[in-house]
Amino acid sequence: MSRPYQDSGVGAQRFWRVLIYTTLLVFALFYLLPLFVMLVTSFKSLDEIRQGNMMALPEVWTLEPWFKAWGSACIGLTCDGIHTYFWNTIKMVVPAVLIATLLGALNGYVLTKWRFRGHRWVFGLMLFGCFIPFQIVLIPMSQVLGNLGIAGTTTGLVLVHVTYGIGFSTLFFRNYYEAFPTELVKAAMIDGAGFFGIFWRILLPSSGPIIVVTVIWLFTNIWNDFLFGASFNAGEGAPMMVALNNLVNSSTGVKEYNVDMAAAMIAALPTLLVYIVAGRYFVRGLMAGSVKG
Amino acid sequence: MRDDTSGFLGWCRRSLPKIVLAPSFVVTICFVYGFIIYTGYISTTASKMLPNSKFIGLTNYEKLWRTLNWQVALDNLAIFGILYISICGLLGLGLAILLDQKIRGEGFLRPIYLYPMALSFIVTGTAWKWFLNPGLGLEKTMHEWGWSSFKFDWLVNSEMAIYTVVIAGVWQTSGFVMAMFLAGLRGVDNEQVKAAQLDGASSYQTYKRVIIPQLTPVFLSAFVVLSHMAIKAYDLVVALTGGGPGNATEVPATFMYSYTFTRNQMGVGAASAMIMLMTIAAIIVPYLYAETRGKRHE
Amino acid sequence: MASLEIKNIRKSFGSTEVLHGIDIAIDDGDFLVLVGPSGCGKSTLLNMIAGLDDITAGEIVIGGETMNDRHPSKRDIAMVFQSYALYPSMTVEKNISFGLEMRKVDKAVRKQRVAEVAQMLQIEPLLKRKPGQLSGGQRQRVAMGRALVRDPKIFLFDEPLSNLDAKLRVDMRTEIKKLHQRLGSTIVYVTHDQIEAMTLATRIAIMKDGVLQQLGTPQEVYDEPNNLFVAGFMGSPSMNLLPATLVDTDAGIAANIQQSSGESINLLLKPSENHAQWIGKAVTLGIRPETITDPGSAEQNTGLVTQIDCEVNVTEPTGADLFVFTELGGEEVVARMRSNSGATAGEQAAFSFNMEKAVLFDQDSGERIY
Repeated sequence: MSRPYQDSGVGAQRFWRVLIYTTLLVFALFYLLPLFVMLVTSFKSLDEIRQGNMMALPEVWTLEPWFKAWGSACIGLTCDGIHTYFWNTIKMVVPAVLIATLLGALNGYVLTKWRFRGHRWVFGLMLFGCFIPFQIVLIPMSQVLGNLGIAGTTTGLVLVHVTYGIGFSTLFFRNYYEAFPTELVKAAMIDGAGFFGIFWRILLPSSGPIIVVTVIWLFTNIWNDFLFGASFNAGEGAPMMVALNNLVNSSTGVKEYNVDMAAAMIAALPTLLVYIVAGRYFVRGLMAGSVKG
Repeated sequence: MRDDTSGFLGWCRRSLPKIVLAPSFVVTICFVYGFIIYTGYISTTASKMLPNSKFIGLTNYEKLWRTLNWQVALDNLAIFGILYISICGLLGLGLAILLDQKIRGEGFLRPIYLYPMALSFIVTGTAWKWFLNPGLGLEKTMHEWGWSSFKFDWLVNSEMAIYTVVIAGVWQTSGFVMAMFLAGLRGVDNEQVKAAQLDGASSYQTYKRVIIPQLTPVFLSAFVVLSHMAIKAYDLVVALTGGGPGNATEVPATFMYSYTFTRNQMGVGAASAMIMLMTIAAIIVPYLYAETRGKRHE
Repeated sequence: MASLEIKNIRKSFGSTEVLHGIDIAIDDGDFLVLVGPSGCGKSTLLNMIAGLDDITAGEIVIGGETMNDRHPSKRDIAMVFQSYALYPSMTVEKNISFGLEMRKVDKAVRKQRVAEVAQMLQIEPLLKRKPGQLSGGQRQRVAMGRALVRDPKIFLFDEPLSNLDAKLRVDMRTEIKKLHQRLGSTIVYVTHDQIEAMTLATRIAIMKDGVLQQLGTPQEVYDEPNNLFVAGFMGSPSMNLLPATLVDTDAGIAANIQQSSGESINLLLKPSENHAQWIGKAVTLGIRPETITDPGSAEQNTGLVTQIDCEVNVTEPTGADLFVFTELGGEEVVARMRSNSGATAGEQAAFSFNMEKAVLFDQDSGERIY
């Protein structure tokens, strides 16, 4: 964007610049405040919270709430903290992300480099799966999982997330491979490479960026999921967000806000870290997943 | 392709791509479309706690529409949806325009606006629930800072609770809308801006007449994404208000869950899910159709 | 219409100076072409004339008034951009009248001016369409229409033809020339294509690395290039440049060329007082392809034609001519012969060198020796 030329005098220019920066900073505060409050509260003692100001820094910093959240807070009937649920989620997310990514890559590959009649329909039908409200599949899915004997298990949840994740991963890879020069594939074919050969040796090595985008997208969405977790694995093996919600919304006993906040921070840390480290790819995923098919 | 394409083995080799794609496709057909049909079927049966094969036509739908909770849910969805979409849109556009003014520190501000998108709605709901806690949160802070008449009990106020959901939702998603608009703004040919300068247009006029009209695709995308998120909104409501106080922040998503799993009204729950689906489809399908139509690569 | 003076203009981006003191003055009605390779600063200079880029040092004077601190919209100029920069969401009519609208010109007057311009450029049937529905050539005309309707003192063109295919480019070039003749407007035109420069300009300013190499009429820069760069840049195929030494012969001072075979060739030069000091020194000799021909088509009434037999390396027939490549002084040299002159690759052929227009350059500095 080229700037509007200095026609209204330096004074007016400066006024607008100050206004713009102020507005932007005010909004930056708006976005940061809840996180700040969450952090700050998680380091305070309950007394301090009750007497003090939510936005004030702790007078006495304490890690007690964090330890409690991790190891001894009561969720439902057990008072074991959230650490089991944290590891549960990892055990669930990692396979789900890996499988969904791999399948998405293969699907994208087939849809772009091995076109067949009706490929657009196939893609469209798979794409639509990304947009459905997941409430629509809760009833039949719980039945199917029950029949397969994997209701309330991590395996069941992995299956669910893979099923509803391949729509997105296929979308990402398909768009990426669409732009990949088909001449390279043809050259490889002439050189004698077969279906899988081309995939492993030609496409996959060049897929770095999109793999990162897909993995981040899937990881974030699956880690942050609540609905599927609450519907299909709400018990002992529940994922992080279900546990967090149970902890925070438990109506028994004294509300320990600091523990709640610490637990929320722990739950948020993985995806936040991913965002901080690879934010660029996160944004790419957001844009790719939303703007077009 | 290779020359040994005869016989069964040849057929296998030729069909390999389709075979590889098939599992995902079959899974999608069954677990998406098959399930939709199944839920639709359930919505026409007298299912209560468990599925029941007694066909009762559209009775569940009639029942649904006469249920007060559903009316509340729809009202809330309308309020939430309209406010959420328009505020996110305006805020996103506004921030994008401001950021586009060659701001130093853009690389610092943009991630701050966007990070809430990385959080789960449960975390967001939890954070805002604490922030707006009547008695210990914002209200108390304002009192401590001298504004003793400040009152903010929206969270527990039946009338106002839905607006807290709007606030939290906007907080989470507006950064993303801003990113979309910023990308759109940057896609505008800079020479057009120069031409407008030469034509004597002020900054405001340039934005109004030249730049923003070109952002129509972005408005459309943003609308589609935001309305989709609004209709699906479940986690946020659960964490922030639990649907309450009472049923003041009931939305279709929470309605469906409670009627299906806790109130043992599976048929009605299925019906509500079908309504949600049809609403989303009404927005998404035309959009997807128009998009894939325009992308003729061959 | 107005005159334009560019006085000692300098431009720096941060600590890097990209324009080093440019001085150009043209009269009312001149068609000035700024030409040069990518990165020479011609577009930057144009933007500074327009006011879209600010001036680090120097003055821009249009019609006698200094424009340095004036907003682009107040300089009474109009510009046609490389990408045309038409507003996609407005109709052609609105595109053209937008500038007038911003200046609060009366609606009726706007309509009339648009109609006049549309008729002049023959784009009347396109008025209700949007830019996305137009072809490249049509868009170009609309862009010109937008400029014309302002009736400005100076028109600025920023490589307006580069986005068109070859044939359209030639057609539009002629259109622009006709427009200039008809309106007598002052025009500043930027291009990297020296043919466009030659055909359109009344004055050409050749630039390289932010320095003005030469300012003159097309014929001046073609026949009397100031330095090696201008010599090689203007003209297609470009001027042959080969190393030579000046020697004194009975007939006068000649350029002596050493062939790789050991053979020595003397080409008699047009007499000049300066040449004496360069005798024995190494120079670069510049001869245009069209002055090296087959003996049959050589100029008859000049004493400066030397005929030599050389070996032909490659021939390129164009239908109208035959370009014949040979080697002189270790450099590849192109001659333009008649298409039926019979020169064949691998064989000897007779080359007639007309030295009337040959030029000499200092080998080290690249400057012209007169």
